Amino acid sequence: MSQLAGIRVVVLADRLVDLGAKMLSELGAEVVVSEAGDGLSPARTAAWRAELRHADKPLAELLSEADILLDDRRRTTQRPEVEALAGSNPALVHVVATGFPLGDPRPVTDLTLMAESGLMHVTGTPDAPPLRLPGEQAYALTGIQVATAALMGLAARRRIGRGQRIVVSALQAAACANYREAVMFDWTGRIGRRQGNMLVRGTSGVRQVWPCADGYVTWSMIDNPGMMRAVVAQMEAEGVAGELSDIEWEDILVAETEQATIDRWQAIVAAFFARHTRAELGQWSLTQGWGLSTIMTLPEVRESAHLKARGFFRNGLPGPLFQTHPPEVAS
Amino acid sequence: MRALEGLKIADFSWVGAGPRATKELADNGALVVKVESAKRLDLGRKSPPFAKGERGNPDASAFFAQTNTSKKSVTINLADPQGQALAKKLVGWADVVVENFGPGYMERIGLGWAELCKVNPGVILASVSVAGRTGPMAGFRGYGNSAAAHSGHADMTGWPGSEPHMPPFAYGDVVAPMFLTVAILAALEARERTGQGSWVEVSQIEPMAHVIADLFAEMPAEKPGNADPLMDPHGVFPCAGEDAWIAIACEDETQRAALKGMLGEGELAELTADHDAFELAERLAAAGVSASPVRDGKALSEHPALRAAGHFVAVDHPVLGPSAMPAPPMEMEATPHAVGPAPCLGANNTEVFEGYLGMDRAEIDRLAANGVIA
Repeated sequence: MSQLAGIRVVVLADRLVDLGAKMLSELGAEVVVSEAGDGLSPARTAAWRAELRHADKPLAELLSEADILLDDRRRTTQRPEVEALAGSNPALVHVVATGFPLGDPRPVTDLTLMAESGLMHVTGTPDAPPLRLPGEQAYALTGIQVATAALMGLAARRRIGRGQRIVVSALQAAACANYREAVMFDWTGRIGRRQGNMLVRGTSGVRQVWPCADGYVTWSMIDNPGMMRAVVAQMEAEGVAGELSDIEWEDILVAETEQATIDRWQAIVAAFFARHTRAELGQWSLTQGWGLSTIMTLPEVRESAHLKARGFFRNGLPGPLFQTHPPEVAS
Repeated sequence: MRALEGLKIADFSWVGAGPRATKELADNGALVVKVESAKRLDLGRKSPPFAKGERGNPDASAFFAQTNTSKKSVTINLADPQGQALAKKLVGWADVVVENFGPGYMERIGLGWAELCKVNPGVILASVSVAGRTGPMAGFRGYGNSAAAHSGHADMTGWPGSEPHMPPFAYGDVVAPMFLTVAILAALEARERTGQGSWVEVSQIEPMAHVIADLFAEMPAEKPGNADPLMDPHGVFPCAGEDAWIAIACEDETQRAALKGMLGEGELAELTADHDAFELAERLAAAGVSASPVRDGKALSEHPALRAAGHFVAVDHPVLGPSAMPAPPMEMEATPHAVGPAPCLGANNTEVFEGYLGMDRAEIDRLAANGVIA
């Protein structure tokens, strides 16, 4: 990718800007790490910083010719010397990433930000403590917003003729990802709970994860008649659809069906899935529109024929952020 | 002035993955015209919660309202050839076209990439779909959580030894649109230099893999749960009250000593059990320890730091009334954002068709009478 060829980015990294720096680098910007906070495992270093160049000039010199500064303030709120240097380059887009907004100096980590976001409260099973999402998602969400802020700053620079300071708050970045819990409370007074792999609507719930012959797939019995008919048709071809053949899916709402009935239907589906491999079920889903997905392990994702065809992994790590196609010129 | 003043976007996307990509652009000044139709209602308009419980009112969904702030809405029946012709006019006006339709739909309505290039050389097309528009799975139809399955997320979520765990919300519908926003802004930057447009297309699977790049670097055999390879302690611990928890993470000896100084020696789960999670988190944070209460939806809505920062902006909506809408998580000091209400269905038909596209009133009335503007 070369959308940002010629754009010079200086990074002071301490986790909040890591993915943002990597994204700008992927887009073709010349990204230089001037300062990097400690405390990264070797895997995290490889994932976030390995491809970034380390500075061979003083910060003042780097900033005098930079377009963008990514200034990570996870563990420090005041950086007067950096502010002064940044201020001496009026064209600079100075992106400051903080934990909490408004200069609140409290220490944050990915775990505590995820706890603040309301996402941990609903992740996991009812009988166990709240759980975070895999990896470090609060840092990742903040990093993407940092890249967005930097690009927004470049767009604004074209309009107003100068750079500016932009403050991105990790707390807000993580909270933005939780699109459901706060709004649901505001409008209904309901508070979401951990439901494990059950998709609960009203008084009943449906399964989301199913064992099959060689692993797991995800699929749910939802109110999509076309999808339900497609799955049942395959079951009928094998003579295992049972009472599911008799259901007019247009005439019922699964979400309003009694749990005992749903459980009976799901038992039929479970037996069908258990007879087949992920490859078989995934292929039927692709060609027949079931909405079923195979659950893949990390090594399987790396070896995915689909992702290989898209040139996604590079040295075992995610590569291009997206695909870019040039204009099609009429011949 | 806002950061994207003057940028024109024709947004054909619906539900979550597309609309979230244009929300921040609209809040930052882009003129985003959302193309929808009463004949094929955006499922987001049918998604709860609803103001006054008005499930059948297409303008009553708070879910839709928070995903589509600051946009305008026109109604075009894309199943009608005249609707497709009208959509083409809008595309000719736009700098950016956004869509998240199923595979082949844009081509079927005459708005495929090759056609767009003819109608509007220099246009940027931004697409988001579960698996992308190339590769063996290009035709895959799925949902936001499909990407969790295909990216390794579901397999890596859960406690060690447990079955795969789906995220409790469509995380792919969060991360992918954020990547699409970046793609659009990057494509615009490139167009400024080269004068050339481009088609940027995001697969939901790929951003979901990007955000766990550290796990691809490590390739753990087991789910990490709440554990961390370096920090200790690092987890959630029970507090006083029902389903009340505190998250604590210590990065160094100084923090561990501060934690011990406040709670003493012993099992952390026992030491925290009698404390109020919010009070204890404040005291630990003041002592330099990373600690936070595990907030539920109510505590998130009432979060004092978010409220103070203007994270939830009070917006007056014609049907929802005064409502709290999320703002972009950044403060641009020279070009601040401004969050406006989401549009009612077709609220801007006249403004857009007459004002932006220069159509005359009689033509608009004819198209409306024929079910094209509908």
